[in-house]
Order: sequence, then structure tokens, then C-alpha cells
Amino acid sequence: MDVDNSQLLKGVLDLAVLAVLGEKDSYGYDVVRRLRDQGLDSVGDASVYGTLRRLYQAGALNSYVVPSDEGPHRKYYGLNDRGRKTLDQSAKAWTSLSGALNKLLNGRSHKG
Amino acid sequence: MTTETRANDVASYATAVRAALADLPVEEQTALLEDLEDHLAEIAAEADGTLVERLGPSETYGAELRAAYGAVHGQGGRRALPLQAMVASMAVRLRQAGWYRDVRAFVPSLRPAWWVLRGYLVVLLLTAMFSSGFNVRPIPNPFRSSGLLQLIATIIAIVISVRLGQRSRPRNHAVRLVGILGNTAIALLAIPILHSMSTTPFQDSAPVSDATPSFPGAYAGGGVTNIYPYSRDGKTLVDVLLYDQDGRPLVVDARGAGLTTAYPTGADGQPITNAYPQSQRQFDGTPIVRPRVAIPPWPSPSPSASPSP
Repeated sequence: MDVDNSQLLKGVLDLAVLAVLGEKDSYGYDVVRRLRDQGLDSVGDASVYGTLRRLYQAGALNSYVVPSDEGPHRKYYGLNDRGRKTLDQSAKAWTSLSGALNKLLNGRSHKG
Repeated sequence: MTTETRANDVASYATAVRAALADLPVEEQTALLEDLEDHLAEIAAEADGTLVERLGPSETYGAELRAAYGAVHGQGGRRALPLQAMVASMAVRLRQAGWYRDVRAFVPSLRPAWWVLRGYLVVLLLTAMFSSGFNVRPIPNPFRSSGLLQLIATIIAIVISVRLGQRSRPRNHAVRLVGILGNTAIALLAIPILHSMSTTPFQDSAPVSDATPSFPGAYAGGGVTNIYPYSRDGKTLVDVLLYDQDGRPLVVDARGAGLTTAYPTGADGQPITNAYPQSQRQFDGTPIVRPRVAIPPWPSPSPSASPSP
């Protein structure tokens, strides 16, 4: 993956992770799995983990540990007020941006 | 995969990832990698196969992690110096080492011992301060009022110290810093006191004669502190030189009995240590007096015993 593509994905990944957590709280690997279930196949585990940590450090997420009888204890992440606000704003920005981009790309495909 | 090999796999993969990110500022490493092991353990528990097989090489994972996390901090952030990175990476390796984990797990169990020692040392320091550092003893003499006071103070200090230790750790950074500095100061200041401490308990102001050296020679044991030679006819003899079967000067240990000995000095300036009887005094200066002795009656000389030529 070259730099431009990773930069592009990074912006999208923030929104994707926020959206997944907006549905319900999740632990790291569960976020990865749910993103892949939604069709983001190429998303890397490290990218998701790094994004979770960054959003957490930025104060958009809260976290708590859920003990598990079998397997390791799981650290769950969830949106706090700031995270929900960011999700709302980013979702609006994404909708308008993707709408504009789709128009552009559609125009290009009609021409081609 | 067994639980153990899985745990090892997680630990070694995490170590490698941390090493790949060792050049990041320490605070960022902490923020990013805080629960890396937990996260990797989750992944490891989900399916079979090693982490390398499922996540790719640790270097690639580290680079991806850096890119994903770096959006906020990355470019403009303060980078760790090469030396800092080296130290950080060494610290990470150390933290992963099995023996280090064992030691880390064990050391906290010693905390109560330090609390007790801390109380003891504080009183020791105060005693040394107020007695201008002289005659501080490991265990104060309870038969002197100052010693008794010191003992009571020690007990009170230990109780306070343990109570302080049992309180939950202060969250405030400044308070914690004061605590750490205080503990360190007590430990460091106590070293010279402990070093200079007299280890002979309960002999206050006893002039243990440092001038009495221990002499080479054969020691007459069995509690013998002096020897009084007499001639056959019961006359006292003085300055009789005694030697053992190997020709070594025969000396006695009078110090053990609390006596000081004045040795005659030879023409060469050396003390003559095997001339008897020796002139001795008690610690309080009282001279030792010659004991009464019973001279055995010798048989009267018979004609056959002393043949005349």
C-alpha cells in the first residue's frame, strides 16, 4: 500500500471505526471482524488497533475491561459524547464529500 | 496450540513489535502499546496459527501501527534520540524477560519489610543527629534512659511507617514524588550511620583497650588469664619467660575476661608478652592481686636419690 492510499484509508478508517463502535461497544479484534464483514476486507489489524489507540488518546472513546472465563480479558471500546459528536460531524462530511466524488466519478465513467 | 505456546507466541511477537517502534517518544509508545499484549492475545485466541502467519511480519505490523497511529502525532512529534530509543528498546526487552517478571512480582512482597526498616532508620537518623553521631548502636540499650526512649520512639515510628505504607498510593504526582524522595533520602542518609555504627552492644563508655593488640604466639586457653610461677621452695618468681612445645611464646588472653595488661617493653621496643606473672588491672583500674597458692610439700632428698661421687 503506498503512502497516498494509506493516507486515504486512514481518514476513512477513523470514520469506519467510529461507525462500528456507534452501533455497539467492541473489543479490538471484534472491530476488525465487523469491518471485514462490512466489506472492508483489506483493513489490517494493526491499522485498526492503532486507530483505536489514537481515538482513545484523542479522547473520543472510553474503554473498560471485561473479564472472560475462557480466553483473555477483553478491552472494550465505546463512544463517549465527544466520539459521538465526531462521528456525526465526520458522517456529514463524508456524505457530502462522497456525494461530490461519486458525481465526479460517475461523470468520468459516462464519458469513458 | 497449547495455552503456553500461545502465550509465548504473543509475548515474542509483542516484543518484536515494541522493538520496531522503540524510536517513538516514550510517552507515545506507552499510549500506543499499553494493551498490545491483550490485543494480540485476543487475536491469538480467535483462531489457530501463529501470529506471524496471521498478521504478517512484526516489522510490517509495527509500521502499519505507526502509520495508523501517526495521523495525529507522527510527523511533527518529538522523535526519540537514538540513545533514548536504544534504552527504550532495552527496557522493553527487559520487561519481557521471564526472570525480570519474577523479580517484579516478588519485590512488592518486600514492601512491609521496608516499612518496618524505614521506621527503625528514621529514629536511628534522629538519634545520630542529636547525639552528634557517636555511639549509635544497632539496638539501643534499654537500661539507659536515652536507650529506652530510642526504643519507644522506634516502635512508634514503625507503627506510623507501616500505617503510611498501608494507605493507598496517592494519585497526586507531587505527593508521590515527595514520597519517593523521602524514602530515598532515608535510605541514603542511613548508609553512613550504619557504616559507622558501633556493633558492641551495651558497653557504653567501656574503654576497650585498642592499645592491646593480639599477639602472635600460642595462647593458653581454658580461661587462663595469668600465670604465677614459683620456685621449688615456694619463692615467687618474676619475669619468667614461658614457651610452648614448639618454641612459641606462651601468651594468655586477659582481654576476654575484661582485664588490661601492662607488658614490659624490651630493648628493641617490642612488648614482651610471655613474661610472667603479668601486671594486670580491671577495667575500673583495680590492680589484680596475686592469688594465694598452696605449695606442695616436696619429698625430703633420700641418699639413693642423690648419689655422691
